[in-house]
Amino acid sequence: MTASHEIETRLRETAERLLGEKKVDLFLGHEKASLPLRTTPLFLTVAADAARLAWNPFCSPNLAVYLPRLFRAPADAREAKTAPPRPTVGVVLKGCDARSVVALIQEHQLPRDKLVLVGIACPGMVDARKAERVLGLHEALGAGEDAHGNIRAVVEDGTEVTLRREQVLADVCLECRAPTPSICDIVLGAAVEPREAHVARRQAEELESRPADARWAHFQQMMSKCIRCNACRQACPMCYCKDCLLDQTRPRWVGAGTDFSDVAIYHLARAFHMAGRCTACGACARACPMGLDVRLLVRKLNLEVEDLYGYRPGEAVDATPPLSAFAMDDPQEFLTEP
Amino acid sequence: MTEKRIPQTDLDRLLARLRQRAAVYAPAEDGTGEVVLAALSGKESVTLEYRNFRLSPKALVLPQNQTLLCFKDGQAEEPRLPEGETILFGVRPCDARALLALDQVFLNGNPHDPYYARLRSGATVITLACARPMSSCFCTSVGGGPGDGTGADVLAVALAGDLLLRAETSKGEALLASLADLLSDATPAAVKEAQEQVRAAEDPMTPVKVDGSAERLRQAYDSPLWEAASRKCLGCGTCSFLCPTCHCFDITDEVRGGAGRRVRTWDCCAYPLFTLHASGHNPRPTPKERWRQRIMHKFRYAVENFDRLFCVGCGRCIRHCPASLDLRTVLKEVGA
Amino acid sequence: MSQTQIVPEAAAPRTWEPKVVAFLCNWCSYAGADLAGVSRIQYPPNIRIIRVPCSGRINPVFLLRALQSGADAVLVSGCHPGDCHYISGNLAARRKFTLFRDLLKYVGIEPERVQFTWVSASEGGRFASVVEKVVEQARKLGPNTKLVKRA
Repeated sequence: MTASHEIETRLRETAERLLGEKKVDLFLGHEKASLPLRTTPLFLTVAADAARLAWNPFCSPNLAVYLPRLFRAPADAREAKTAPPRPTVGVVLKGCDARSVVALIQEHQLPRDKLVLVGIACPGMVDARKAERVLGLHEALGAGEDAHGNIRAVVEDGTEVTLRREQVLADVCLECRAPTPSICDIVLGAAVEPREAHVARRQAEELESRPADARWAHFQQMMSKCIRCNACRQACPMCYCKDCLLDQTRPRWVGAGTDFSDVAIYHLARAFHMAGRCTACGACARACPMGLDVRLLVRKLNLEVEDLYGYRPGEAVDATPPLSAFAMDDPQEFLTEP
Repeated sequence: MTEKRIPQTDLDRLLARLRQRAAVYAPAEDGTGEVVLAALSGKESVTLEYRNFRLSPKALVLPQNQTLLCFKDGQAEEPRLPEGETILFGVRPCDARALLALDQVFLNGNPHDPYYARLRSGATVITLACARPMSSCFCTSVGGGPGDGTGADVLAVALAGDLLLRAETSKGEALLASLADLLSDATPAAVKEAQEQVRAAEDPMTPVKVDGSAERLRQAYDSPLWEAASRKCLGCGTCSFLCPTCHCFDITDEVRGGAGRRVRTWDCCAYPLFTLHASGHNPRPTPKERWRQRIMHKFRYAVENFDRLFCVGCGRCIRHCPASLDLRTVLKEVGA
Repeated sequence: MSQTQIVPEAAAPRTWEPKVVAFLCNWCSYAGADLAGVSRIQYPPNIRIIRVPCSGRINPVFLLRALQSGADAVLVSGCHPGDCHYISGNLAARRKFTLFRDLLKYVGIEPERVQFTWVSASEGGRFASVVEKVVEQARKLGPNTKLVKRA
């Protein structure tokens, strides 16, 4: 694994070159945020600003979510007349981010030829909330990575606290099977070993081993804190529909309140729309202000899609998404016979 | 209004007494390691070891969803408004001040909101002063403070082993009078210690310049900084839903057959659909207009309309934004 | 394939009856249901039919909405694979139905509440049998309490 600061230096050089040579009009990366344990997305247009780019264990945001809106087609002929030409965009991608980009290209939301993809194999990113929970009543005023890849936080009384990386990695990173970007033009840093293949599967199997009522009770308990803010949907790179089915009022498919029936349908419907498309980036769970395990349902659906149709989202741009295709011998276990 | 005192070991007794007359909400662990403002049933383990709750107490006076009326076969029926009192113990000074901002909108506005009024008038607020603000807190910059009693009926300060209580309103006085047998007078030394604790808590907070924000924002309306600042915004709604002063709502009818109900739910100006007109036109079509509006509403329009900032410096939006947007940065850029 | 007895209302006490919403594709299953009617084949009146052009039209959100609105079970029926009026609508639907049913099972909603079948236009008797089976299973399960939204 290449050290973060080495990658950071090369990333800055790369961005500076791409912008300076006008190979890209815009470069998306991460920069230091105002609070520790986090980064904030950075939209660069000037080569000299490349020094602001950061690469560290806090680069969790999936930048792919910002790409579709940069390439949105004009709404009508009038808009088309005044719309600026489509930019060429450079973007830093971890393994999961790259998979999102592949899926977006498959769905014609992004033009491959207008993207310059800088891929960095990712050893896993820190979940700020997890770290803060470990710190308890202490507050980190600064945080960085030490030589062993652990997180060194400086708390309010000046003392340093070391947090083991494994203790504070995001849950989705602990399940990561594809840390190396599946698509990129420029590679920075060495490849990273995928995690053990069955973490997600074991979680799903454990839940399935419980009786139906216990599963429902678990689902209810997991989702009961949902405040219907839609942050999970807004943060998801694959949720790019201008008019979401779940916002529609004519007809109204699901109410906007926190009645559990509505909460359940929102999550079931959204998860279903992710089947075969979710690239397990965890942006949804990260965005959730209530700390819900938003990935509870898609985790299972992704496994289903893999088992039934041999498909893992975001691996190959020319692969056909499973719900856009069918096979004559598709299983029909769902049938009722009279 | 003399300060009263109760040992912290007697807190459970105090809360149990309050529960005899009202639904009591107090800080308690929720089983996942988080401290929330929980409805007490008597089984919770109440704690004073917390910074602030993730969800603000506004949910108790302006619920996420609220039935305004029901209808069936052409007849409308107002739902019976909840009766009874609630006592909110452990609200932080910033959140208590925020209730006054909500009052401005729902009580002093036109129309007067009876749903909000019922919940609000039935609530007694016992504020717990902050000893340790977070780096995302900036209440002192927006007119508040870690020991501010504005918006509270009773202001409490936790000292080592003791809880000091001071009535801030007549409602608070009546409450403390009803607990007289549990309370004793606080010593002048304890009062002084409480004042020092508050002062010490004010020190670490980094000031944010908001004086004159209304005028500066008016002048900066067309500034390119809005585009730059808003590019990162996902329109996720986290900031509004967690914000103690945000109050925008949507009203929808949920109908099935000939019956249904009219429901009010929280809404967020950062949502793309927030200002979508029936014609299809949207006056705030991109994140830039929406982010600008959010800052303007809190630091300019509220000042122009109500002579009050609609931000209490709680820092939740900064701490929970998935893109780590920080409105203090924007205010600084506008002030520069 | 027994015929259902219709019990005169006066004699039977009012007990809970399951409500089953059926989404039938226009060309095969709806015609099959029609044939059952024309042939005077009785099937339980618990079923409410919604006609759709093709089983491929079914958005799983319809099924969730039906359950939310108070349906105790949902039946989706289309043409046999290979016989779809639109050639491949039902073939595209199979993957959706598989994943959706597994998702509902995963959260603990009884699989008998969401059922799928292929019924052709000539299978009037078979349609009646399917409806009987689905209604019976729904009756055994009892009222849907998990997804239903109280008014």
